[in-house]
Amino acid sequence: MNNNQIGVLALKNVPFLLFIAIFLVFGLMSDRFLEIQSFANIVKQASFIGIVAIGMTFVMLTGGIDLSVGTNMYLSTVVAGLLMKNYQLDPWLALLACLATGLAMGGVNAFLIVRLRMVPFIVTLGTLVAGRGIGLLLTESRGVILPNELFDFGSGSTFGIPNPILVFLVIAVVGHLILSRTVMGRHIYAVGYDAATAKKAGIPVNRTLGSVYLVSGFCAALGGFVSVSQLGIVNAGFGEFSELYAIAAAVLGGTSLFGGIGSILPGTVLGAVLIQMVQSGLVFVRVDIYLQPIIQAAIIFFAVLLDSIRSRKLADLGKRRIRIEEETTGG
Amino acid sequence: MIKKFLTIGLCSAAFAFGAHTAAQAQDKDLSICFAYQTLETEFWVAGHAAMTQSLDEKGIKVIEVNANEDANRQFEQIKDCITQGVDGIIIIPQDGESVIKMIGEANKAGIPVAVFNRPPNPDNPNDAIVVVADNVSIAEAAVEHLTKKARELNLDRKVQPLIMVGALADTNAIGRREGFNNVIKANSDLYAEPIEVPTEWDASVALANLESALQANPDVDVIFTSSDFLFPQIRAVLSQQGRWQPSGQEGHVILGGLDGDVTACKLIRDGYVDATGVQDLFFEADSTVEALLKAIEEGDKTPKQQIDDKGFALTQDNEAERHQDMWGCVLADKQG
Repeated sequence: MNNNQIGVLALKNVPFLLFIAIFLVFGLMSDRFLEIQSFANIVKQASFIGIVAIGMTFVMLTGGIDLSVGTNMYLSTVVAGLLMKNYQLDPWLALLACLATGLAMGGVNAFLIVRLRMVPFIVTLGTLVAGRGIGLLLTESRGVILPNELFDFGSGSTFGIPNPILVFLVIAVVGHLILSRTVMGRHIYAVGYDAATAKKAGIPVNRTLGSVYLVSGFCAALGGFVSVSQLGIVNAGFGEFSELYAIAAAVLGGTSLFGGIGSILPGTVLGAVLIQMVQSGLVFVRVDIYLQPIIQAAIIFFAVLLDSIRSRKLADLGKRRIRIEEETTGG
Repeated sequence: MIKKFLTIGLCSAAFAFGAHTAAQAQDKDLSICFAYQTLETEFWVAGHAAMTQSLDEKGIKVIEVNANEDANRQFEQIKDCITQGVDGIIIIPQDGESVIKMIGEANKAGIPVAVFNRPPNPDNPNDAIVVVADNVSIAEAAVEHLTKKARELNLDRKVQPLIMVGALADTNAIGRREGFNNVIKANSDLYAEPIEVPTEWDASVALANLESALQANPDVDVIFTSSDFLFPQIRAVLSQQGRWQPSGQEGHVILGGLDGDVTACKLIRDGYVDATGVQDLFFEADSTVEALLKAIEEGDKTPKQQIDDKGFALTQDNEAERHQDMWGCVLADKQG
């Protein structure tokens, strides 16, 4: 392996290297940060935003955006919470109701974007506002206290793995397989890369676009459910700004805001855990609480900047290789 | 003679009835805009109930607007209320900074304004009636009790305290942090450097950060949450570590909070929470309404006044005698 190849390999793995670097920096500042339990806590804390970010990745791969995921988390868990509280619905049935609500909200987004050809940014901004309004109307802005069975699930483990992490891993693997091994996944990349060309190639662009908003709605509801199962309550502010963290996680994981580029494993999963790792790391090393948001933002900004430089460098290296090959062929 | 008495009696009754009706009519003509920022926690629900009840008892027409934690929306709502020509405005603001602009609008329009429970920042140049809990002294009262319990531990090392800090833009959160730190500093022989955990008043942020803080510092002996609504998150984290124990049991973490909500009341009764700082919501609501009505009656369009609620600490020691003074316990009793 020559220096160029090592350089390319390093550039391709910048998010992973950055992840390791940040982990080690915090680890050097606090021994306990390097413990397996600390890492498990970080992944657990990142699980709900990670699940939401996986759905967001599907949308962003098509060049779209879903700003309504935070509201979706709130509305779908409110529906589940009220059904459990007022009608003593079994938590598993409540989960189905939660997912159905999430899918319904995703369906509304899909209908408006695909059928009425409205801009995703505006549509999902509208459903962000309307969905929260419906949730607040249903609860009269009061918090919905959830039954203990749900809390037991959120704080419990299966096969020694905390349940939130297990759900996160399952969704990540399923999402990864859909994107990398199925026709639907190939269609998503093709539509995001160039929708017009994809249409000419016979790809069902509308169906592909609609499906990603359904996936996003499903993931938002599931992420919300995983989160409230740890909190034990759905407050009126629940899910606010989660859309921004989900977008940040996807972008940090290498997903392009313009579509066609990105992955879930390691991509978005790494991004979600990285964001949480920075937040936890700052608490671990007891950074002044006024400085924490500034440092957190600076690290995320630096990571995205590095990723952008990486993409440019890789593109340049790709061009050079093509030229060399042409020269070789010509000679 | 009887006729004379009857005539006087009827006249008196008519006069009394007329006066009462006139007074009622005057009150009924008054309209107050009540702009609150959220009903997210029990505290704000109870505050809203206390305020609306106080206004209702005086037969005042209330225009209620809920900003749902959006300061910009609240500003627009205040401007709407001004346009509607209300006689007075009561604001529970999102934070101490955004309310300054709202008070300024009310001042410009010549409508007296009262700010409830969340005071404007000290650099506020505008005039308002400010009814506020003395967060510093209430936090001090609660943490004093925690300190008493911490001294009883007789550890061979310094006691490790932890504070869950609220949103840094919220003056209440800052006051509570100040009260906590005052007591910690005054007992520096007992306490190690406190651990500060940011919560941004967000339950999921609080849960994640507390879990990290306790993973990094497992020897925490005292936890003070700047708001009682975060006790479920504290319970979640301590339960995982096997440290959610009532006082007197091995592994008990000395717990304190502030607000005096239903959960805190129940947890004090069950022995898990040692103390909570209590705001006298009923006093605060009555004082707000009375001060605002007085300003309206006197034609004072830009009243400037501060009314302090000194509050108190409800502890496991005084719960039996003082629980009726805490709004959370009153609600808990109603809920059974």
